[in-house]
Amino acid sequence: MAIDPRHVGRRYGPYRHQVCAERVRDFATVVAGGAPGHFGAASGEPHPWSADEEAAARSPYGALVAPPTFAVTFAMDPFAQACADPEIGLDLVRLLHAEQEFEYRGVVRPADVLTTRGEVVEVHSKGPLDFMTVRTETRNQADELVIVGLWTAVVRT
Amino acid sequence: MKRLADFRVGDTFELTRSADRYRPIYYAAVSGDFNPIHIDREVAQLAGLPDTILQGMCTMAWLADACTSYFGDPGRFRRLRVRFSRPVVSGDTVTFRGRCTSVEGGRVRVEVEASNQRGEEVLKGAAAEASFEE
Repeated sequence: MAIDPRHVGRRYGPYRHQVCAERVRDFATVVAGGAPGHFGAASGEPHPWSADEEAAARSPYGALVAPPTFAVTFAMDPFAQACADPEIGLDLVRLLHAEQEFEYRGVVRPADVLTTRGEVVEVHSKGPLDFMTVRTETRNQADELVIVGLWTAVVRT
Repeated sequence: MKRLADFRVGDTFELTRSADRYRPIYYAAVSGDFNPIHIDREVAQLAGLPDTILQGMCTMAWLADACTSYFGDPGRFRRLRVRFSRPVVSGDTVTFRGRCTSVEGGRVRVEVEASNQRGEEVLKGAAAEASFEE
C-alpha cells in the first residue's frame, strides 16, 4: 500500500546529543574491523585523527574529528522515528535503508552539543516498492548548521 | 596534508572490508542501530533474507573510509551519497574501487564502485566530494 502523501511535512525532534570522544574512537575502530574499546586491534587502520587522541591533538583540528558517517549516532533519530511512527504505519520487517546522502558544512568534534530536527520531505512508489525520505538538519552549540541528511527508506510491499 | 594540486582526475583508490559475523553487532553498539535484521538470524530470515545483514550505514562508513584514504583527511568531506542496491550479508567481503572524476573550484569529486566477493554491486551512485585549499 502506497504511503499516504499527507505525511509529507511531518516533523520530528529536536533531538540533542553530546559528542563523546570514546564513542568517536569506538565508531572509527569498529568500522575499520576492530572491536569496541580495542583501538589498535582493527584489521584495517582507522584514520588516526578519528581514533588516536594524541595524533589528533597534533592535527589541524587539535582534537578528534568525527568520521563523516558518525552522523548516524546523532542525526538518525528523526528517520528512525518516522520509520516507526504508527501514524505512518510502515511495515518495519519489510523496511530497508535505500539511499543516504549527507551534506557537510562543518566538522564535528568531541564535546559538541548537536541538535537535530527532521521532516518527511517525500513519499513515492515504484512498482511494489514504497519510498519515504526524511531530511534532517543538525546544528551545533553555536547554532551553526553542520550536517544536512537525506534518509530514504524502502518498504517492499 | 594534501592540497588541491595533489589530486588528479583519473586517480584511483581501493579498500576492502569484511562483514564478519560480529560486525553488525559491533556496529549496532557504536551506531545505536539495533534493528533485529542485523543481529538476529531468525528475524532476518523472516524478512526473506539469507542471514543477518550489515547495516547500510556501516557499508556507507566503509565507503567514507575508502574516500578518506584518498582525501587524507576525515574533516574535508562536503558531500557523501549512496544507494544501497543489494544487502551486504554476514560473511560477505566488499571491495571499494574509487576514481577521481573532477578537481575544480576547490572541490575534489570521486565516484566509487562497491562489489561483494561474487562481483555483485552492493552500492549504486556512490560519490563523495571534499574541499581543499589551492
